[in-house]
Formats: sequence, structure tokens, C-alpha cells
Amino acid sequence: MRPLRIPSISLAIGLVLLIRAGAELLAAPVDFSREVLPVLSENCFHCHGPDLKARKAELRLDTQSGAFQKNKDGVAAVVPGKPEASGLVERIFSHESDELMPPPKSNRKLTAAERELLKRWVTEGAPWGTHWAFSPLKKPPLPENGSPHPIDALVRERLKREALDLQPRAPRRTLLRRLSLDLTGLPPTLEEAANFDADATSNALERAVDRLLASPRFGERMAWDWLEAARYADTNGYQGDNERSMWPWRDWVVDAFNRNLPYDQFTTWQLAGDLLPNPTHEQLLATGFLRNHPINGEGGRIAEENRVDYVMDMAETTGTVWLGLTFQCCRCHDHKYDPLLQTDYYRFFGFFNQTPVSGAGGDPQMFPRIDVPQGDESKRLEAARAALKELEIQIKTVWNESITKRTDWIAAGGAEDPASPRDVKKFGKPGEIKAAAQLPESKWSSDQRKFMEAAWAEHEAGFKKLLTERDTRREKEQQANKALTRVMVMGDMPKPRQTFVLNRGLYTAPGAEVTSGVPVNLPPLAPDEPANRLGLARWLSAAENPLMARVTVNRLWQQVFGIGLVKTAEDFGVQAEMPAHLELLDWLAAEFRDSGWNVKALLRLILTSETYLQSSDVPEILARNDPQNRLLARGARFRLPAWAIRDQALAASGLLVGKIGGSPVKPYQPAGIWEEATFGGGKKTYVQDTGENLYRRSLYTFWRRIIGPTVFFDTPSRMVCSVKPLRTNTPLHALSTLNDPTYVEAARVLAQRVWTAPETSFEARLSAIFQRVLAREPSPSENELWAGALNRQRATYAADIAGAERLIAVGASPRDTRIPPADHAAYTALCLSIFNLDETLTKE
Amino acid sequence: MNPLIAHHLDVTRRTLLESSAYGLGGAALSWMLNREASAAEAAPQSPLLSNAHNLPGLPHFAPKAKRIIYLFQNGGPSHVELFDYKPQLRELHGKPMPEEYLKGRRFSSMTASISNRLVLGNVEPFQQYGKCGAWVSDLMPYTAQIVDDLCFVKGMQTDAVNHAPAISFLLSGGQLPGRPTIGSWLSYGLGSANQDLPSYVVMTSVSKGTSCGQIFYDFYWGSGFLPTRFQGVKFRGSSEPVLYLDNPDGLSRETRRGMLDDIQAANRMKLASAGDPEIATRISQYEMAYRMQASVPELTNLSNEPRSVLERYGPQVTEPGTFAHNCLMARRMVERGVQFVQLMHAGWDQHNSLTTELYTQCRDTDQASAALVLDLKERGLLEDTLVIWGGEFGRTPFIQGDIANRKVWGRDHHPYAFTVWMAGGGVKAGFTLGESDDLAVNAVKDPVHVHDLQATFLHLMGVDHERLTYKFQGRQFRLTDVHGKVVRSLLS
Repeated sequence: MRPLRIPSISLAIGLVLLIRAGAELLAAPVDFSREVLPVLSENCFHCHGPDLKARKAELRLDTQSGAFQKNKDGVAAVVPGKPEASGLVERIFSHESDELMPPPKSNRKLTAAERELLKRWVTEGAPWGTHWAFSPLKKPPLPENGSPHPIDALVRERLKREALDLQPRAPRRTLLRRLSLDLTGLPPTLEEAANFDADATSNALERAVDRLLASPRFGERMAWDWLEAARYADTNGYQGDNERSMWPWRDWVVDAFNRNLPYDQFTTWQLAGDLLPNPTHEQLLATGFLRNHPINGEGGRIAEENRVDYVMDMAETTGTVWLGLTFQCCRCHDHKYDPLLQTDYYRFFGFFNQTPVSGAGGDPQMFPRIDVPQGDESKRLEAARAALKELEIQIKTVWNESITKRTDWIAAGGAEDPASPRDVKKFGKPGEIKAAAQLPESKWSSDQRKFMEAAWAEHEAGFKKLLTERDTRREKEQQANKALTRVMVMGDMPKPRQTFVLNRGLYTAPGAEVTSGVPVNLPPLAPDEPANRLGLARWLSAAENPLMARVTVNRLWQQVFGIGLVKTAEDFGVQAEMPAHLELLDWLAAEFRDSGWNVKALLRLILTSETYLQSSDVPEILARNDPQNRLLARGARFRLPAWAIRDQALAASGLLVGKIGGSPVKPYQPAGIWEEATFGGGKKTYVQDTGENLYRRSLYTFWRRIIGPTVFFDTPSRMVCSVKPLRTNTPLHALSTLNDPTYVEAARVLAQRVWTAPETSFEARLSAIFQRVLAREPSPSENELWAGALNRQRATYAADIAGAERLIAVGASPRDTRIPPADHAAYTALCLSIFNLDETLTKE
Repeated sequence: MNPLIAHHLDVTRRTLLESSAYGLGGAALSWMLNREASAAEAAPQSPLLSNAHNLPGLPHFAPKAKRIIYLFQNGGPSHVELFDYKPQLRELHGKPMPEEYLKGRRFSSMTASISNRLVLGNVEPFQQYGKCGAWVSDLMPYTAQIVDDLCFVKGMQTDAVNHAPAISFLLSGGQLPGRPTIGSWLSYGLGSANQDLPSYVVMTSVSKGTSCGQIFYDFYWGSGFLPTRFQGVKFRGSSEPVLYLDNPDGLSRETRRGMLDDIQAANRMKLASAGDPEIATRISQYEMAYRMQASVPELTNLSNEPRSVLERYGPQVTEPGTFAHNCLMARRMVERGVQFVQLMHAGWDQHNSLTTELYTQCRDTDQASAALVLDLKERGLLEDTLVIWGGEFGRTPFIQGDIANRKVWGRDHHPYAFTVWMAGGGVKAGFTLGESDDLAVNAVKDPVHVHDLQATFLHLMGVDHERLTYKFQGRQFRLTDVHGKVVRSLLS
């Protein structure tokens, strides 16, 4: 079921040739970091890289000394300036299959161009360097080419080499929709569009950007991607899949983005808020980030195995989100490509290994945690506790008062095991009561006391009643306790836990002990910083750290352009895709760092560039040579994420309920989805919400980790950290937006809205639909197309009133019965069609 | 017009023409037919579409199997009870398990602490069947009748001892979620033979009264880091087998056709002005959605199945959501070109139910599994269809529970030896590979690791498991990780 595929391989080659051709025109010397290192990494490092255990022929090509060193036959792989003496050159050009490198059986093969490149590099003296992402971050100088905006100056300089330039700006209304979707995830309202039209000043766009950045919707939009990175869900995952209450952390994220908390603080609070001096409630709450990992409550799981899984998850998530490093490779061995050692992994793991988090069981509020009581949750718990305590005092009194009576009872041999059926939990094993009866009460163990109380209750009806009541109140207390909203957070144990390298990543195979620390091939922790999560957080945002700024800027760019400047947002290692705009990435990253990690300022900078404002139409040459728009010679054009498609439909129809935050909601979902996925004791039933909870923003939809909401597609599973959007195009997505009641109801309500407006001509109504959904007027040909459509559908439904009535009954919201059913149904079908246009589903 | 777009339109048009063989949506085609070419010109099928969208160079060699039906038995069916006959177990019943068999073995926390593990004999007797003389438990009377068509692998071994990691390991090669499953790899590599149905379909079932609380996680058919269009499409056991397949109430197929014509017309205008090839893809995907709305009900409509066929699959066959129903659906799917059908039947987790729920499990799956093999064989489909039956691990030959209380006899998870069987597409028939020791604890002859089994599946489909790779996080990933050897001794 694959969509028609662009012959992407030939296009990609086309682009490579294009770029290469540009470079050769300038006759620039070979760039080690950009050109040579990726080739060496992809083809050689697997056997001649950092991983000592995998290394063949004692040759390593990932370091200069390794590559230049002579082997036992006196030959060096690389002899600068002398390709004819270099073993590497000889082997890659060899015609003998047992000499050729890489070996044919490795399934790796150098292209002719790559072989020539390596030879040229050796000829040019084999200059060495570091991988671009690990090299210190410096702000490159801006080219002076007449572009006032730094982004445009850098992009146009690069485009010049391809004989390309930026496209003209997209139409004004397209830009307004683009900006609104990018910054709030919602289309502009009619009023916002009118105000924008009315703003004739030269900085109208900047003002729109500022207005949108200040909207509380901004934080909601930004939070979605962060939740995916944080593998946020409302349940544990795995068997049992208990519900958790981490959503106050989610609300904190929204708020942090809205008030533009500087990204270094955003980082520190989430990774180590608990370790700050006198942490505030908010700083503790922020550390919920690390505790969003799944919890495996499957029966029979070994607690330590789980705990190690959780700690690995924390370490790897941090590695991906802040460093763009694929740490997981190092669980078992040194990294095959990047300068990361297995000991680096476990040193990093050590930072997170200090929490008292237990691996046992599936408690969704596992310590450490903080209470975030909502409404009367605290009061209820206090009341339940007080009621229980009161009764316990009463029981004690009654028990003590009956001592004489009981002594007689025991003496008379009354303290016997009860007749069947026996309840071992209540009365103990056979004979235990009798044994306890031999001892004075003061010598009873707590179990014995429990058994004797139960036996006594069998004898004394009044006492039994009290015990039954105590069970009831205990149950109530437990329920009130569980119902209290709590967020799992971080905390370090007073006595550090030892950390060991785990051979093959197995918790059962500890090797050498390690201390917590950062990878040895990255800048060190500052000497005055503690080797704990707080030190780690500060190290990440230190000016010397080459990765955090680059990785973060890249993700924000990806959010706006659909694809990062570095395509592999999850991997900035040697195997990462070489960015077509490295200077731009570095310039923005340095700017972001130097601005005090100001997220809104960075977005404002990006969104006010001509690069961003370009038309997203795809000229033929770009469709052919740069289908993924890596060069940025046009605006971005890509399908909206499913959550935004839903929010857009709700907003356009006016159904959207704008309430921010709070416990998650359960909108429409076909019956039986949870029930089919779960069974036996773990059976889950989806109880759909009613009223305004059906129309909240997608961000607040309840996320059962084992089976996510069906209304969304192309969403990561939230089992592990995910920082790259999934974007595919399948018939199942079409079925979803055509048939899900979410969209049918939104279409019905939008139809109602435009039908009941004062202007009753078809043209006025179509215009209103277009304005609300696409923020523009329909063209004459569109007018003609949709007028025909409406007439056809109206005729169909005039002949099928029963069908019309069924269609306009979809959804829980009330219907305006003034509208004739056939008309309402015909307009509903029309609006549903508009919701399914490529343009609607796409950010242009 | 931009030639690239023209190419897309051309391909789209041909896709539609192909599908017209199914007699669908003549109106749907009109715009394209009228625009570009006459039907006669377009008649020769595009080679690209006839083997729709395989990766270049794939298959690597001529496949023995063109499709796979995986009858996945969730929970760990007891090899000791079903296929791995060890008379010594009954002889030693109730006696401590000899320590040398368990040395260095790790068990789940449910039995890890039991110091005195007692041998538990198989609950039902075994008999020998067929020309090959395979031993099968009385619990599996129907499977017993087809042993001459089966290839038993009795030395299966896995790395995981808990359900989710072990199932994930078998289906994706990794214990943690996030790797593509077998069906995804095959869709990615080999494309699809049917443009109206997904190439990778999943159906699930549970025996009534199953007490264990496992879950059908969607990562059991996930595409991991491959694009999500390669993930398994779950067909549900309800009146709407594919999510959101049905038009809204009150919106007829004709009205939908009209709506799609309008949407496509608008999208074509957009394609002409914006030039984005993705719009052409969207046009074709909306058409495929429309075709699926007809092809799926046709697929699930059993009214034309002869009574004799229905009877063979057993009494539950007409009940959507049962294993028997899913088995018949699997046959209908492979007939229509679905490449990978994954049935998952849960409830094999007999910690304390060997004398109760195990019987239900067998009753609900035995007859239909055998019927499927016979049905495929009679239709000539078994030759190039690989059927696999098996779970994520076996069960301990020693007891979990109280030996004196037969009602709650159980066995714990056991990764060191278990049995799967295969049939059809390129594997030997009436054949048994490997064996466990005389207490069914450890695979001692011809052990087959999970990665070996996966390498073999791919091999049978014409794919070299070392060469079907995808670059993610800087590394070339494959189904078998860095392991796996094709088990050549079971190839026919």
C-alpha cells in the first residue's frame, strides 16, 4: 500500500551532483569534516572506528594518528600528499576482491566520486579536523550580499552557488495562515485576518508575529513537540497500563513556553530542578520530564531489570533531546562511528542512576513524587484519613475494654480456627490462632494480633461490625489517596548508588565501576560543578558545549520548515546528514546561545526572514533536483500533523473550546478500541466524554500509551523519545479525515454557521467557509466547482431527506433546526470536502 | 505541464485503470481518462505497478514464498504439552528437577525463587501421526492430522523471558519497541501486489474466559523507524474492519464519489499551480481509500464460501473476532494479494491453567490452523505461501503452583527450548528439525535462535536478511540486528 513514489534516488543523486558541481566550480580544497569524514564514517568506521572490539587489522581511521600510523609492514593508510604511498588509496582502488576496501561482502561500496574524493584529499595533504557538530560553536561572519536579514544573507550566498535565488513572498493571506499555524497551531480567525488586512504599515508581518508569539496558544503549539520528545502519556504503558497523573507537568510546559522561560533554565529545571538550592514547587514539577518513561508492571518482571530500563531511558532521552547523540549504541559496545565509549554511556547513565525510583510493580505514582492536589482532592483524603483514625481509636477502646471477657474466652478454648472456608490472609495458617492464644496479648506479633482480632470478631458480632467498617474506611482512604493528583519527579538518594558498566547492556552482567560524568571526547564538566544532574544541566548550556544550541535550533527549524537544517534531528553524530546550510545552523545556534537562550526571539528571527516568507510553490527544477527542499530555494510545504488538522477543523467550525490545561479529555473514538487491545484483568473501557471536553485542543486528549488516540495518525507511540516528525500519505489517513465523526460534525457545524449568517447567497457562504478554513477567498473557478457540487448534493438530499437527517445528526453538538435538512446536509458534504482539500491538510 | 507532475499523473491514471478490473468507480476515472490518453494507450501495465514499488534489486533472488501467514500464539504455548514429547517427564512427575538441567538459567521472578522445582508431566498423552511419525498431544487432534505437511522446529531459543519483550523480539528483532516488524520490512522491501488492500494486515483474537491481562500492543505490528505507511493495518473484529472505513451515516457511496471528484478536481488545480508532487500522491491515496471501501467489505463477506469450507474451519468461523474467522480471512487476504498476514491469538499464558484454559486455547485454534493449511493446499496456494505457527517462548517443564492441586497446575515462561511449526512456501514437509534434551529444558540439537528464524523467513521471501537495511540514527538497521543465519536444513 505504498503511494506513488518519486524516483527519489535519481533526484537525490541529481542534487548531490548539483552541489558537487557548484563546489568544483569554485575549485575549493576538499573539506575534511564535510566531505571526507562522512565517507570514512559510512564505509570504514564499522571495522576501523572507535569500537576497539570490532577493530580489524589494528587500524583506526577515526583519528589522525591512527590513519597516519605505519603498520607492521611499514605502510600507513594515509601518507599526506602521497596517494601512491597510501594504503587506503591503494585498497579502495584495488581490483582484487580480497584486497578491495570496503570488502564486497560488507555490503558497503564506494562510488567512483567518493574514491576520487579520498584520493584528492590525500593529495591535498590529508588535512584533518573534527566532525562539524563536535567542533566549538562560533558565529560565522555574514556575507555581504545586500540581504539585510542574516538568515537571508546566508541562504542566498549558498543558493548563488547553485545559480538559484529565493522565491518571491507567498501571498499575504497565505503568510498569515502559515504564521498562525506555525506559532499557534490554529488558523487565523476572521477578525485576525481583517486586522491584518487593515494593517498597511510596512511591519505588519512583524506585528502579526509578535501578536502570535504573545498568544497563550503559542505554548500549546510548542508543547506538542516537547511532549513527543518527552514520551509523555497519561498511562504507564505495558501490561496493566495504569493511569498516571503527569498532566500538571504538561501544563507547566505550556506555561514555560508562554512566558518564554529561557531555554537554559527550561533545561536545568527539567533535568535537575530538584537539585537547585531550595527548589520551588515549579522546579520540582519540571523534573517530571525524566519520569515520563513507561513503567512495566508486567507480572514476573524482575525489579532491577525494570529499574535499569528506566534509567537507560532517562539517559538516552537526555542524550537525544539535548545532545543529538545516539547513546543507545553504547549500551553494549563502544560507538561504531562517534567518539563515544561504552564507559561514556554508563558514566552518563550514572547521573540518573541516583534516584530511589523502584523497578517493582506498576504504581503510576511511584516515588519520588509531589502532590498537586486539584479541587477537593486534599480535603477528601484528609476526611477519609480522619474517619479512619477515629474508628481505629474506637476499635482500640472497645478491644481494651473487653480484655476480661476475651481472657475467659481464650481460657475456655474459644480462640480456635474458624470452620471452613478458611481465609489464610485473615486468620493465618491452621494453628496460628491457637499458637497466639498461648501467649499474652503484649507478646503478639502484628500478624498474630490481626488473626486474633478476626477470631474475636467471629465471636463478638459488635466487634465484627467495627472491623467491617474499618475495612470500608480503609478502602475509602486508599481510593482518596490514589485519586490525589501526583506527579512523579526526580530526587537523588543521600547515599550514592554505585554504577557499573553493564556488559551487553544486561543488568545481570556488571563490569567495571564508573563514576558519573560526561563523554570524554566532549568538553569536560567545569571543575567547580558537581558530578550530578545539576552539573550535567549546566554543562549542557555552557558556552563551550557544541551541541545543545545546534540541536535545539535545528529542532525549532524543523518545526517550522518540516525538516531540520540537519535532517537527522535525532543524530548529530558523524553519521548525521551533512547540512546543506551549515553556516546558517551555526550562526543561528550561536545567536540563540548569545541571546540568553531566547526561544521566542529565535522564532521571531526565523519567521521574519524572506527565506521563511517565500512562496511554497514548487518550480519544476526544484521538484526535480531538490525535492526535499534542502537548499531552501522555496517556502516549506508539508502536510500538517494530525493534531493540527483536528484543531483546525474544530477552530474553523467554532466548536473549539479554548480552555487551557487540566486533566486529559476523551473525545470521539470508535467503540471497542481499548477493549480489543486489552483483556483479562487488564481490560480497559473507553468512556467518551461529553460536552466541552469533546472539543478541547488535541494537546489535552487522553493518551493511553499502549493504544494511542485513533483520531491522530502518523504519531509516535510515546513509548520512547521521538524528535522527528512522521509524515506519510496513506489511504487510511484519507478515511480518517473523511469519515471520523470529529470531521463530519465540524463540517456540519461549520455549515450551520455559514448558513445562519446574514448573507445568504451561495457566494457569501462559500467565501465564509474558505475564510474560516483557508483564510482566503475562493477563486472564480473554485466558486464554479463548488456551486456545482452544492447543487448536486442538494438534489441528492432533497430526494433523500431521511439520509440528510442521518448525516446532520452526526456529533453531540446541537443542530439548528431552522435549516432545512437537505440544505444542511448538502452544505455539510461541501464543508467536509473543503476539510479534505490538499490545501487544507497542508501548510503552504 | 511540469514533466515530473505529468509523470505522476500518468502513474496515477494507470493505477486507476488497473483497479478498474475490480469494477469500481468508473466515474472516478473519467477525469484522468479524458485528460491524458485513451484507455487503449494505457492498457499495457506499467512494470513499476505490476510489482508495486519494490526497492530496486529486490527480491534479491527467486522467492520460494510470495506471502506469509503468521499464526502468532501470544503468551507462550507450552511446548511440553503440545508438540515436544518427553516420556521422562511423566516418569519423573512430582520429583525435583535435576539441577544440572537448570544450571545458569534465569527464570522470571514468578519462579526465580523456587528452590525446589518439581517436574510436571504433560497433562494429556501424545500419539504418533502420519508418515513422518511426529508426536502430537491429544490436545491438538486436527493439527495431528496434517503433520505430513508440517515442518517442526523443536530447538527454538529466544533471549527474553517476559511477554512484551519476547513478542517484540520475535516480530521485530529487538526487545524494546521501536524496530520495524517483519511485515513492515517486507512491505518496505518488496512492495505490494494489491493496490486495493494493504500489504500487511493484522488481526487479533482472544479465547473467551482468558484470565491473563496481556495486551496487543500496536508496536507488535509497528513500522518502527520505517515510514508509517509500512506498518501493519489492523483489521478489527467488528462490522467496520478498518478504522473509519464506512462513510458517515446518511452519506451514500454515490455522494462520496461525487465529493471525491470535487476534491480531486480542486486538488488538480492546486497541483497545476503549486507543482508539489505530494499532491499527486494525495490524489491517488484518496482514490485508494475509495477503492478500499469496496474491496474490504468484499473481502470480509463470507456469504459465497461453501458450507464445506466453513465447516472445516469450525463452528466459530462465522463469528468475527475469533481465531477461526481470522484464519479464513487470512486465506481470503492472501488470495487477494496481501503479502503478510499476522494473526495474533492471546491467552497461552498457562501459569495456573494447564488443566483448564489450555484446553480452551487448543479448542479455539487447533481446528482452524489445520483447516487453513489444508484449504491453502487444496487451492494450490500452499506452495508459495509460508504458514508459521508459534509463540514467543515455551513453558517450564517444571511446575508453577502446587503439585497436589491439579486444578491450578501451571508452568512459567521458558526461553531455552520451544517449538514452532511452519508449512508451505519452501520448507520441508513432514519434517522435524532439532530437539531439546530429554526433559525439554534446553535445545540440544540444531538450536534455532529467533534471529535465525527471521533470516529464514526473509530468505524464503527472496530477501537476503543482511541486505535489507534502513539507515536510522546513523546506523544501517536490519531485522536480524547483527545476527541470524538462514536455517538451510529446513528448506525444501
